[in-house]
Amino acid sequence: MKRLPLLAILLLTLPVASVHAQSPDQAWNLDQSTLTYHMSHPMHEVDGTSRAARGKGVCHAGQCDFLVAAPVKSFDSGDSNRDLHMLQVTRGAQFPLIQVRFRLPQGSLASPTLDCDLEVEFAGNTAHYAHVQFHQTIEGNAHHIVGIVPATLTDFKIDPPSFLTIPIKNDIPVRVDLTWHPS
Amino acid sequence: MSALLLQQDTAIPSRTATWARGILIAGICLSLLCSLPVPLRAQTEDRPAAVLAAKSDPLSLPDAPTPAASATSPDEPIVISRSLQPPAQSPPPSAGPSLGDLGLTPAETEGSAQRQALLDRRTHMLKVHQRLGLITVIPVAAACISAAGAPPEHGNYGNTTSRDVHVALGAAAVAMYGATAYYAIRAPKVSNEPARGGIKWHKYLIYIHAPGMVLTPILGAMAFNQINSGQKVHGIASAHGGVAAATAISYGAAIVAVSWPIHIKF
Repeated sequence: MKRLPLLAILLLTLPVASVHAQSPDQAWNLDQSTLTYHMSHPMHEVDGTSRAARGKGVCHAGQCDFLVAAPVKSFDSGDSNRDLHMLQVTRGAQFPLIQVRFRLPQGSLASPTLDCDLEVEFAGNTAHYAHVQFHQTIEGNAHHIVGIVPATLTDFKIDPPSFLTIPIKNDIPVRVDLTWHPS
Repeated sequence: MSALLLQQDTAIPSRTATWARGILIAGICLSLLCSLPVPLRAQTEDRPAAVLAAKSDPLSLPDAPTPAASATSPDEPIVISRSLQPPAQSPPPSAGPSLGDLGLTPAETEGSAQRQALLDRRTHMLKVHQRLGLITVIPVAAACISAAGAPPEHGNYGNTTSRDVHVALGAAAVAMYGATAYYAIRAPKVSNEPARGGIKWHKYLIYIHAPGMVLTPILGAMAFNQINSGQKVHGIASAHGGVAAATAISYGAAIVAVSWPIHIKF
């Protein structure tokens, strides 16, 4: 008879345990971010920076999926007119977000160099960048990651804007500086 | 198992047996309820369309999930860059966190074709503004240069050719300036935020060259009439040259300001 309450408790806790089994093994939150694109023209060198990116990572079965998204309009080059032109040429009103997805093995999250295959959705197009290297420094719980995404205008079918009939360079490398925290 | 438990129940006092039976039944009911194949909220959030499709048409298979790029244009292929190599790691996930998980609202994630069209129109008009503005530099400069021959030489009021050329160039400059300004004024305004950077000075300088472009031809006409009537230029008309110079300089400065900072690098 003593087994009866035990059995009842077991039955009660079983569904709770099954719900917990579906939650992620580990989750990551993006605390701080600085994304900076660089644009080159024979007469201008411009950097546009956004600190409005948001990110999240979830780990299941040894694999971690990450998503980082930043509004296109959040990039500030120091000139409001240029920023509005950038918004226009990148079709930022129609596709307001830049989304970056990547997957990493959970075991590699603490390594000083992260080799990422990025899927970047921007200006209504998706580009893949294989083996993008990010350098990581870990201080306590904070994982500080820096690297450069070698983006180009043609990757996203963006017509290069021109000044004095000279178009800007095709390369628009994006410097990434992110600080993640496990939650 | 149940029979064994019931057999054991007969051997204990009735109140305890009732409690135990109640707990057991409650536990079984709860476990059955929880084990029903009802998807969790997080599982249903991102795939409402797939769930609806399965319910509405049970005889046909649901469509295969479309890649992210198809959200923009189903005809356009996904751009593969950087050496076209297949990724060495497992491909980037289609699952994983969603935009909703980032706390982004639909207003932040959904685009507006109407707003994009407004931006396109603005850019088009400002490109015309820029082109006309640069072309206007030519008649403005020519009018400034031809101004040297406009005053009567040594009291010779009869020769008006160089003066007429100056008037024609000045008129062309004003007309071109008007067309340039039209495209800037008529370009749709898409942001109420204060201007930052070179465009701010570009706009401030309007307060100098716009009145100058109105005053210069008026004063020029007054000076022209005074010379034609055999008088020396006098009164407010004598400010024509100074006002024109200030206008031309501020106009040039406005062009430089909107292009600033300039780093020549080939």
